[in-house]
Amino acid sequence: MNIAVVLRQVPDLVETLDIDRTGTALDWDTASWIVNECDDHALEQALLLKEAGGGSVTVVALDAGDVDNTLYTAAAKGADRILKIPLDDPTPPAPRAAAALLAQAIRTLDAELVLVGVQAHNELDGVLPPLLAAGLERPYVGVIRGVQPGAEPGTVTACKEFPGAVMARMQVRLPAVLGILGAEQPPRYVPVSRIRAAMKATQFEEPEVTVPARDARVTVRRLYAPASAARAEILSGSVSDVAARLVTILAERGILK
Amino acid sequence: MHFARPIMWNVPAWAELTLYVMIPLVMIALVAGVVWRIRKWFVGQPEAGAPSIRQQLWSALRPPRLAEVLATSLFQSRLARDRFAIVMHQAIFWGMVFLFIGTALATIDQDFTNLLLDWQLLSGNFYRLFEFTLDVFGVVLIAGVLMAAYRRVVQRPARLQPRRRGISLWDSFPLLTSLFLIAVTGFLVEGLRLAEGLKIEASVAAAPADWAARRTVLEQVGFGHRLHMGPERQEAEWSRVADGGAVFPAAMAAPVGYGLAQVLAPLSVESVRSLHQVLWWLHALLAFGLIVSIPFTKAFHLVASPANLLLHVPGPPGRLPVTSEAGVRTVRDFTWRQLLQVDACTWCGKCQEVCPGFNTGFPLSPRDLVQAIGSQLLRTRPRGNGETPSLHAALIPPAELWSCCACRACEDICPVHVEHPRLIIDLRRHLIDQGEVDEGVQDALMNFQRYGNSFGQSARKRPEWTKTLDFSLPDARKQAVEYLWFVGDYASYDQRAQAVTRSIARVLHQAGVDVGLLMDKEQNAGNDVRRLGEEGLFSLLREKNTQALAGVKFRKVLTTDPHTYNTLKNEYGASPAQSQTSPDASDKAAAEEAADTNVLEGKPVLHYTELLDELICQGTLTIPRSLQIKVTYHDPCYLGRFNGVYDAPRRILRALGAELVEMPRHRASSFCCGAGGGRLWMKDTPGIAERPAENRVREALALPGVQCLVVACPKDLVMFQDAIKTVGEEARLRVVDIGELVWEALAVPEAALT
Repeated sequence: MNIAVVLRQVPDLVETLDIDRTGTALDWDTASWIVNECDDHALEQALLLKEAGGGSVTVVALDAGDVDNTLYTAAAKGADRILKIPLDDPTPPAPRAAAALLAQAIRTLDAELVLVGVQAHNELDGVLPPLLAAGLERPYVGVIRGVQPGAEPGTVTACKEFPGAVMARMQVRLPAVLGILGAEQPPRYVPVSRIRAAMKATQFEEPEVTVPARDARVTVRRLYAPASAARAEILSGSVSDVAARLVTILAERGILK
Repeated sequence: MHFARPIMWNVPAWAELTLYVMIPLVMIALVAGVVWRIRKWFVGQPEAGAPSIRQQLWSALRPPRLAEVLATSLFQSRLARDRFAIVMHQAIFWGMVFLFIGTALATIDQDFTNLLLDWQLLSGNFYRLFEFTLDVFGVVLIAGVLMAAYRRVVQRPARLQPRRRGISLWDSFPLLTSLFLIAVTGFLVEGLRLAEGLKIEASVAAAPADWAARRTVLEQVGFGHRLHMGPERQEAEWSRVADGGAVFPAAMAAPVGYGLAQVLAPLSVESVRSLHQVLWWLHALLAFGLIVSIPFTKAFHLVASPANLLLHVPGPPGRLPVTSEAGVRTVRDFTWRQLLQVDACTWCGKCQEVCPGFNTGFPLSPRDLVQAIGSQLLRTRPRGNGETPSLHAALIPPAELWSCCACRACEDICPVHVEHPRLIIDLRRHLIDQGEVDEGVQDALMNFQRYGNSFGQSARKRPEWTKTLDFSLPDARKQAVEYLWFVGDYASYDQRAQAVTRSIARVLHQAGVDVGLLMDKEQNAGNDVRRLGEEGLFSLLREKNTQALAGVKFRKVLTTDPHTYNTLKNEYGASPAQSQTSPDASDKAAAEEAADTNVLEGKPVLHYTELLDELICQGTLTIPRSLQIKVTYHDPCYLGRFNGVYDAPRRILRALGAELVEMPRHRASSFCCGAGGGRLWMKDTPGIAERPAENRVREALALPGVQCLVVACPKDLVMFQDAIKTVGEEARLRVVDIGELVWEALAVPEAALT
């Protein structure tokens, strides 16, 4: 099975995030980038599928957010090909434009299965995976925790998580795009020596893509840190007491009339 | 009156001939067996950068090294911590050595001087001395063997119990039994020979006092057939004995043999002769059996242990050699010197006895691990035919490798210099290379890769502990300082350790020490990363720190964490050759570059206890009052066993007016807190009896009246504070860093302490 995996870079939340002078974007002089956690799981899942049933894993990423180290790490873990989509701007484009670029690159591959992290913390509403599926004109299933080779040829078995920790096992006919929440096992560790070896041995491929115009439908008007406040109230007592207090609070806030 | 040692007394010619045929065969078997074993060592890899065998042999001839080699091999000085063991082993060793020398002298006497010169070396008073010495050392040997048997049968320490994994070599009993029987049969042979002599003497005395009659008596007992000597000397012997002289004039010099002769004398002369011949054969066959078995039994340590002591590379214990970053999968991936060490193991189990993992129920026994490698080595052919099986999984499970605290207690106590941690870390390197790591370790390694610390905290937060000081610490990147303080992760990020770090800073500030920090450019020094087996990451951290230090002006390095101290002192200045990096290790060029720009060259690295001790001794730091407390002190592994810093912390405690009560396991015998070798980041192992730190605080709690467990390592502080809570004895014992005590003595009002 040939699998394409999308890797995205997101701001590292361990570092203090500063807002730049415009007040509408992060200050990239102090922030740093890290691979999106769900995408890392998507890569792990792809490698597990390859190890179980053969095939190849191709990583596709936008050349944004210091992505090179992430790509070398992916190569050291076992990715067979790396496609790095060139951009004219080092910050990642908005999801719609990113999905269009990724779809163009993935179309050049003979990939039956596309795995992409179901969400990224810097995206609104996790829109990239379904947009990518739409761009590729393939079915999409999201919130997947674990994919296994299917019982029938041309299928995979995916575990989809629903609210309340309800799991569904479903057979997915390929080609398809899956939005990965978690792999069957945590992403593997790759030693630094292997990453360094990959840096010497790996050649990134740069697919020819048409860069769409920057998506202007969402405009950031103001970016700000959450203001701290002390408003928590712990409700206690019997169920009826708590319910009565809740009703009062909601009424006070003007939510209940 | 001249007399000499009787040669082949009561031994028929056919037996003597058989013996002479057997001797070369036995020797050939011994040499072939030893060569078979030695060739197996060289299935291992060469040790790049280490001295060659020739260089080592040459250096072993020079006085300091010669003295060490003689002390460790001939006098087994590394056993000195166990008095029973050293007495037992010395008794067996020197007993065998003297009996061997005796046998060699007897051979020279009968096969060279007597045959060629008709003259005997073993004659007169020298013969008497020979008899006496051999009897004494025969008794010494038996005493040693009985001590060994007492230890194994009566005392039965766990370290000498049967092993978990099967091994094809026999254990000690066949060796000890054969040594015992050789000594006992030797005495009986001697006693029977002397008993016959007594009988002959009695026959001569009973005959008429007539020279001819007595000579007839001697002829009747076949005296002449027993004298293997030239006609003139034989005639002199006839005359001497016929004149009433003793058949064996040196008999009285052999107290054991003579005593046995008195006991055996009532037997008939035929019985004495037959029994003598039977036991003579048994003695010879046992000795031959022992010699032939040497390469195939525990007795091979007679070859491998001295060889290892001779070829051991003396160097800082804190510098870990690297043969391959990819580690060890099969025995062929170890170096030949490591395989020699494996064969040198005497199965004494002392490593197991001191291992913090084994002692607290972790699935690790350094003894069993070495023997598992040894068993695989035995099955390995020098010329590789087919695949050599992996050492991992079934033979050495990952859990066993991850249980090691890399505290070096095993290596330090090993009588024959086996470097167990190095074996374990080489095996760990393979697991890391394959991505097989504990979840906690993986998180820590990822954090090191990304943030340069195990906490997963931003590098920018590293100097935050300084913010609550009422003075500022200089940024060493911006101004020249005398001491560059390499603070370390725990001392910088852990909230409990931060308080200690601030105390040390205040003491240094009060003493006027010119000290600066690398601030956010400091990264973990990599000591434990290296001991986890992630060599590539260690190199990366070393490169980043080296780059950070490159532009900094300082004279000395100060460290808080003994782990940091060890690696900065021993592993940052090491050139690739010194650290024995092989040519195939990745990024050799980078390592060479780092070595070329060795920013720590000629810069002393100090632990803060060394600096505080120096300041107190010089009078720069005056302790204004005595703390009047009763304390015990825990020697951190990487400060004590790895770098020999034992006295500085104790001098500080004395200067503080503290009464120091030592724990039973102190100085080199200190018991690890369980944080070393990356264990700090691993999840608790289910099913263990207790954590090593709990074991250690219980040891401290057992000391009457001790108020404080004093530490000199931020990791110890964290581990012991947790452990004291777990055992529910927080009220009885305070875990405190020595830096905090110094600050209390300097600044805290007396009332606040009470």
